Amino acid sequence: MTDVILQARGLRKSYDNGRMQALRGVDLDISAGDFLAIVGPSGSGKSTLLHLLGGLDTPSGGDVLWRGVTLGSRQDHLDFYRARHVGFVFQAFHLLPTLTVLENVQVPMMSAPRNGASRSGRARALLAELGLDGCVRQFPNELSGGQRQRVAIARALANDPELLLADEPTGNLDSENSERTLDVLTELRKRRGMTLVIVTHEHGIAEAAERHIRIQDGRIA
Amino acid sequence: MPAELSFPWFAWRNLWRRRLRTTLTLAGIAMGIGAFVGLVGFSRSFAHEWLLMYESSGTDIAVVQQTFLSTSVSEADGAKLLALPTVARVSPMILNLMDLTQDVNALSYGWKADSYEFDSLHVVAGRRLRDGHAELMLGELLAGSLHKRPGDTLQIQGSIFTVCGVYHGGSALEAGAAILPLDQMQKLGSLEGKVTAFHVRLKPAPLNEPPDHYLARAQQEIEAALPGLRAVPAAERAANNQIVVLASAAAWGTSSIALLIGILGIANTMAMAVFERTGEIGLLRALGWNRWRVVLLVEIEAAGLGFAGGLLGIAVGWAALRILARLPQTASIVSSSFSWPLLAEATGIAIFAGLLAGVVPAWRGARLSPVEALRHD
Repeated sequence: MTDVILQARGLRKSYDNGRMQALRGVDLDISAGDFLAIVGPSGSGKSTLLHLLGGLDTPSGGDVLWRGVTLGSRQDHLDFYRARHVGFVFQAFHLLPTLTVLENVQVPMMSAPRNGASRSGRARALLAELGLDGCVRQFPNELSGGQRQRVAIARALANDPELLLADEPTGNLDSENSERTLDVLTELRKRRGMTLVIVTHEHGIAEAAERHIRIQDGRIA
Repeated sequence: MPAELSFPWFAWRNLWRRRLRTTLTLAGIAMGIGAFVGLVGFSRSFAHEWLLMYESSGTDIAVVQQTFLSTSVSEADGAKLLALPTVARVSPMILNLMDLTQDVNALSYGWKADSYEFDSLHVVAGRRLRDGHAELMLGELLAGSLHKRPGDTLQIQGSIFTVCGVYHGGSALEAGAAILPLDQMQKLGSLEGKVTAFHVRLKPAPLNEPPDHYLARAQQEIEAALPGLRAVPAAERAANNQIVVLASAAAWGTSSIALLIGILGIANTMAMAVFERTGEIGLLRALGWNRWRVVLLVEIEAAGLGFAGGLLGIAVGWAALRILARLPQTASIVSSSFSWPLLAEATGIAIFAGLLAGVVPAWRGARLSPVEALRHD
């Protein structure tokens, strides 16, 4: 029996007082260790689904359940869920420009009970794992797009999450860096036994995933 | 550059990123704190000099009317005071502010020639004044600003007074003052038989009686003997007389306005910073930071601005005090000695001002929806 860790039940999301329906009742089970790609055209609701699965937003209807327990809408529960169980990778990297690479990776760990030395040590280890040990003191604007995305991946792994959610992680990269980023993500998933959910437009990524779903007009097609 | 990321370091990097705005904000809060240090320091220095004057003359108690500024105490009450068992010496006095020239006005005291308060003064030129003569003594600071020496004259309210001596006093209030014979001051103000206060030196306390208890007993004795008058311990009189209270109120009022401007400056800076960093705050929330951590970061930045602006303001305020202590117009009421309690108070106020200014921006930042905030970028 597979270990279902994340479920969506009748998930709906609307904006503008219900006039704009982004999701219209999505049911989904994600098991531990899954590699799931969510594909679909722009505006279909892929990113909205990812945000709801990651506790970044709350649904207008339906539930997201983490290991059978609904996430609900209480901010402290959602904060805890994001801090302990989820890592995010974004298309635009979202690295903090005032912080060095090493400091950027430590940011999520500031929400966990770790001391400074332990944070710094873990950040160095993660950067080394991603082949970035040579640029720990550099600032994001001194790195290439591929390097920035690998820093963002290292940051997403900072609190050792069980679930890695990536929203168009290769959307801002050239083909060579896209391929490398995908390799990094799949390799990390295998090595760490993580669950990986990627929202993407790219067929290559969808094909690399073990499973993919297609979102069309707010529903799984 | 530390390898370990901490909240203060994170806050510092955010402030450093917007150096011009940070500098302008610092200047704003520094103005507020500088005004506080300068003005409140001025009024406290004034009170301190007052106390120094009492201490150096050995005055334990001032006997006054309920209203300090009125010279309405009967001089004859001095004899009743002297008869009390705890009282050693009594010095009737008049205090006034007098225009000695068109440009210089100064504190002026009316003392009797045999007042014990002369004991603490050192006559550096000329001699002590005599009762019944139109003469006066000048503190060395005042003599310097008036360019007067013994033998020179001054016209006061149409009467010619001769400078009979120049003295050095322990307090700046004395060094910048003029002392006239009590009877001459009474004549000038048509206040014959009236004094502003009696300064009282007590006999030594009995060995078995604590000094505080003895002082309180002497107060009660005096007030019982002279109904309608108040016996005020010198330290309390120094800090709470109407002139000091007025100066203090003006100082607090003015510096509060300056501080308010500084607080609004920080609030504006932090509000702008939160608005500009909406995406970053969304990211922090996405990475698991709860609202309180966001509040903490913004508040550390605001408090850091307050602290740094406070230090700058203390330097500015202290420099202003030093300048005031050298100016002839103010040297008589300000000393340039540094007050550590004032520094601690100013630092505390600066940090509190920063925290206060940061509250609303911090809370606005913390309430942002992570996903909406991320879209902001």
